[in-house]
Amino acid sequence: MSRRAFVSRERETSIGRRLRPHWSAQRFMKRPSRPIGRVSATSPSPTGCCSQSAYSAVCVCVYVCVCMYVCVCVCVCVCGHPFPPPPLFFPNWPPLLSTPPPPPPPLPPGSHTHFYTVFLSHTHTREYALTHSCRMRPSSSSSSSSSSPLCVCESVEKVTPVCVCVCVCVCVCVNAADFYFSRDGAQQDRQREREREREREVHHSWIQDSAQAFSDMEVPRRPRPSSCMLALQQAAAKDPRSSALREENDHDEGDPFGEETFGGDEELDGSLDGSVETSELAGMNATLSSRGSCSEESSTSAEEEAAEAKKKREEEEAAAKERAAQRQMLAIEELVHSERNYLRLLRLSSGTIRNNLQKLQPPPADLDSVFLDIEDVIDVSSRLLGLLDQKLVQPGDPRFLETLCESFLGLSSDIEAAYKEYLANYNQVTVVENSYKQKEALWNDVVRVIKTSAPEVNATSLSFFLVMPVQRIARYPLLLQTIQKHTEKTHPAYALLERTAHTSIALNYRINEYKRFREVADKYKKTETLTIKDKIYRLNTHSIAKKTARFGQHIRHETGMAPKLVDEEFDALEGFFYVLEHGILELLENVETYLYHLQGFLSCRTEEFDLDMDGEKAPICYKEITTALRQWILPTFEKRMRTLIRKPLGALRDLLVGPRNLIRKRLDKLLDYELIEAKSNLSYEEQDVANTYRTMNTLLLNELPQFTGVALQMIWSVLGTFSCLHRDLAADMEQLFQSFAQQLPHSSMERGAFREWAESAVLEGARRLETLCRSVEHTLNGPVVQPLSPSSRRRLKQLTDKHGSGKIYQVVGSVVGSRDLDLNLARGELVAIISEADTRGDKRRWLVDAGGPRGYAPSSKLIRYHQPTEDPPPSPQLTLPDGVTETRRHSYTPESQPMTVMSQPCFQVLAAYDFTATGNHEVSVRAGEPVRVLEPRDKRGNPEWSLVEARGGARGYVPSNYLAIAPRPPHH
Amino acid sequence: NTFMLYYSFKARLQLLGSTVLIAGVEATENQLLEDQTKKLHKDMKKSTEADLAMSKAAVKISADLLSNPLCEQDQAFLDSMTALDTAMRRMDSFNQEKVNQIQKTVIDPLKKYSGVFPSLNMAVKRREQALQDYKRLQSKAEKYEEKEKTGPVMVKLHQAREELRPVREDFEAKNKQLLDEMPKFYYSRIDYFQPSFEALIRAQVVYFTEMYNIFSELTDQIDQAGLTDEQRERETEAKLSELRALSIVADD
Repeated sequence: MSRRAFVSRERETSIGRRLRPHWSAQRFMKRPSRPIGRVSATSPSPTGCCSQSAYSAVCVCVYVCVCMYVCVCVCVCVCGHPFPPPPLFFPNWPPLLSTPPPPPPPLPPGSHTHFYTVFLSHTHTREYALTHSCRMRPSSSSSSSSSSPLCVCESVEKVTPVCVCVCVCVCVCVNAADFYFSRDGAQQDRQREREREREREVHHSWIQDSAQAFSDMEVPRRPRPSSCMLALQQAAAKDPRSSALREENDHDEGDPFGEETFGGDEELDGSLDGSVETSELAGMNATLSSRGSCSEESSTSAEEEAAEAKKKREEEEAAAKERAAQRQMLAIEELVHSERNYLRLLRLSSGTIRNNLQKLQPPPADLDSVFLDIEDVIDVSSRLLGLLDQKLVQPGDPRFLETLCESFLGLSSDIEAAYKEYLANYNQVTVVENSYKQKEALWNDVVRVIKTSAPEVNATSLSFFLVMPVQRIARYPLLLQTIQKHTEKTHPAYALLERTAHTSIALNYRINEYKRFREVADKYKKTETLTIKDKIYRLNTHSIAKKTARFGQHIRHETGMAPKLVDEEFDALEGFFYVLEHGILELLENVETYLYHLQGFLSCRTEEFDLDMDGEKAPICYKEITTALRQWILPTFEKRMRTLIRKPLGALRDLLVGPRNLIRKRLDKLLDYELIEAKSNLSYEEQDVANTYRTMNTLLLNELPQFTGVALQMIWSVLGTFSCLHRDLAADMEQLFQSFAQQLPHSSMERGAFREWAESAVLEGARRLETLCRSVEHTLNGPVVQPLSPSSRRRLKQLTDKHGSGKIYQVVGSVVGSRDLDLNLARGELVAIISEADTRGDKRRWLVDAGGPRGYAPSSKLIRYHQPTEDPPPSPQLTLPDGVTETRRHSYTPESQPMTVMSQPCFQVLAAYDFTATGNHEVSVRAGEPVRVLEPRDKRGNPEWSLVEARGGARGYVPSNYLAIAPRPPHH
Repeated sequence: NTFMLYYSFKARLQLLGSTVLIAGVEATENQLLEDQTKKLHKDMKKSTEADLAMSKAAVKISADLLSNPLCEQDQAFLDSMTALDTAMRRMDSFNQEKVNQIQKTVIDPLKKYSGVFPSLNMAVKRREQALQDYKRLQSKAEKYEEKEKTGPVMVKLHQAREELRPVREDFEAKNKQLLDEMPKFYYSRIDYFQPSFEALIRAQVVYFTEMYNIFSELTDQIDQAGLTDEQRERETEAKLSELRALSIVADD
């Protein structure tokens, strides 16, 4: 068990040491007397000549001095003086005698406390109550027993330290004198002790009365001492001597609770370090045993006494057996009785109080979460009691113990499950209750409700009830161990009882572990959403050092300087988890895409456009189909997709965050851990780091397989659902379409035949459409026959004669020339095209002949002019002007014109002489170079210049008389 | 004589007006049809694209899962995924076929049909132009007619009438053509689209029949439980709370 748990367990038992003040005080009274007693009883006087009285007087002086010193110590301690009291004497005093502790501080939410800490905080309350009970004690009793050291602690808060000091001194002196004047010190001592014991018992019974009053409100913490003590008293009345001895034995045993608890801890862990607690314990034991031996030694002062003691012991043994049986019975009854009481209070809280709280206006928020897990606890507790009641064995019966153990063992797993959840969520409960406390009006209401609902207990808060399971589960081991203590080893159920006790301890241990796991997990699994500012605020030397160390370790891993701590099992799990995560994310994304496209499909309202085909079967069917589809089938399908597939996947994705964060954090912690792993002795923080790493690793190893397993199952079932949804969709669709398809005119056709028919019908339709379209275009889209003015007509004739009808274009919009050589043209004017590009090859500017003037016009403004009548075929391109020398030279006559027209490709134009360009508009040619004549005259109509295209594509003017026409070479 | 001419012109103009009106009505009807055709074409295309995308997304779901190393862990899971993937691919191929069919029999015809409208509109525009020309020349001729019948005026009038005659003929021809063609075009849609719609429905029937076969087979294989939706939801919720109960899961 962890150290923390150990400490809290140790503290928790302080209630069990209610009596400690008395015997502690007694102890310090006795302790100084011991050397004297020993000297006087066993060692002979070293000198022999010294008179007995003188020797005794010296002893008294020494005794008084020592007592004074001790008294001063006590005073200092009581007054809260900073000097620490000797730990040997007062292991538990300060908490008891200090001012009443404040009510348990509210636990900060998510604080790293175990349930034992909670337990502890409530223990404080109890201590408070006890201290108060001491205070309220009638003063008469304190005055009547003024000679007893008991008064020291009782009246200590009322009298000044000085008074205490004086009082103690007086009392010590009286004691010392008593001792001195009695010859038979041991006998007297015993006598006095017996008296004291009597007194104490009276006092005990008084305490028990008050404790009884409290036990109504709180679960008693030890086997009902009232009855136990009563039995003791009875025994004491019968045989005062043996009872006194028994008491000594009891002292030797020390506080049964403290030791038992420690013993349990040692059994569990066996690794108690040399902490303060242990040393305290050891010291205490040493004190006790020495004291015991002292008194024993003093009791064997004479031989006859020894014989008497032997006889007594035999008697005692018989009585002890009887008493042990009685104690065992009482302890068992204690368990059953407290369980009943506990269950009753739990039922009260979850029944009446809860109902009444719900009736509040407004009802407190989160009330359900407060009572969330308590039902299970109640259930398991009532089952336990039910089992005990069922067996028809009375608690007095020896077999009852067996029944009890069997019932407990049988229910132990259920008990664990119920309490585990309750304790793990207890922090949450306190958080909620504190939130109620914040609102004063609400809290007052709550307190009022609690008081009226449960008037018999003095409860003032919800946690009064809600903490009970927390205390109860920790009490089972104690109760069982008490029973075990008072059970003979020969008892038939002893082994079973031992096992039960161990089970209950293991139960507590597991619950504690679970809670610890939960806390570690809770701390790290959440994704922190911090702003940069927050992060900067968080930065401190510690965190920077930590991060740097981790980074350094990481680098060492990467560079291979330090071996990585490899946990293969974990690595496999981690890898699988990442694969799963990737799969889930991908799946979710794909489903989203699918739904998005489905939305897109739904947004196409194809049924709204029926093309006015009202009376036709197919379109109506289609319209109805699509309407049904869009309004019923597909929305249903989509809704199912969303609720049955998208939503679970989304939830699953959200759940991935926790494990992912923990895995990441585990790496951090691993790096931390590796740094300190090699060290032999670890500081507290380092141990904490190592523990955190181990916890996280164990947690992940335990739970990752479960997580991945369930997640995989979910994916599987989601995919099954996906398939099922598709099947349903297909079934609906098929039915819908089928029902309409039967109404269609071609429903009887086979699939293939129908397809052929449909395709051919579509083609036929397209063909008809095309015909229609062409006819429209042909007749209507034709050029507007412009009424040609006589001048236009003349122009047309002239241009047609000159260029051929294929070259005639009409200007569609008026053109205003902006650049050099551009023409200004009016709309409707007719022009002939000379070249479909300008000299620079710009296809947008055409060189045109506007019936005399030539120049460029934008091609976009020109459309081909269709004459109503068919033109003769275009005249030849090369129409060299008449009377050119070449004709004469080559003896070609104009009659050859038709021939040129027909066999124009057979001739080519060559440059007859070299010509060197003299300007931009001219082009250089070499003699014999073939050229293409673009225009046999210049822009002003001067036939002396010809526009040609030379071999390289360069265009420009050359003198017309430099050109010659020649037959094409045969090989061309 | 000239008076007579004038009146004959007037009467002709009125007649013209009514035909203009008729053509206009036809034009608006055609305009509506054009809008619808365009929208239908657009939506058809869009829905087909969405359909294809959906199918591809479904295929991707199974393909991604199958390629995930998750499947290597568990043979049963792998088998399921393989079955799912096969089903998805088959569905996709059937869907592809359906879409092709729709493309061929519905979308292409729609496209062709809407392709006619520009030339038709152009024809209407041309007719409008011709009408404008006609009106202009006619008002010019009327202007001369109203003037005193002097020699030059008579010459001008003659000239104007000469110019008017071909324009008028042109317009009348175009108008008649349009009045003929436009209703014809409008009514042609029924014969034209009837097979398309029928083919559309038939293609879906085929597709969904196949899909039903595929998925009932698949469902039998991977989803034997055959739960209702509520049961499924409850089961999912149970699994989720099982997960949430784990300490490592952040629950909020």
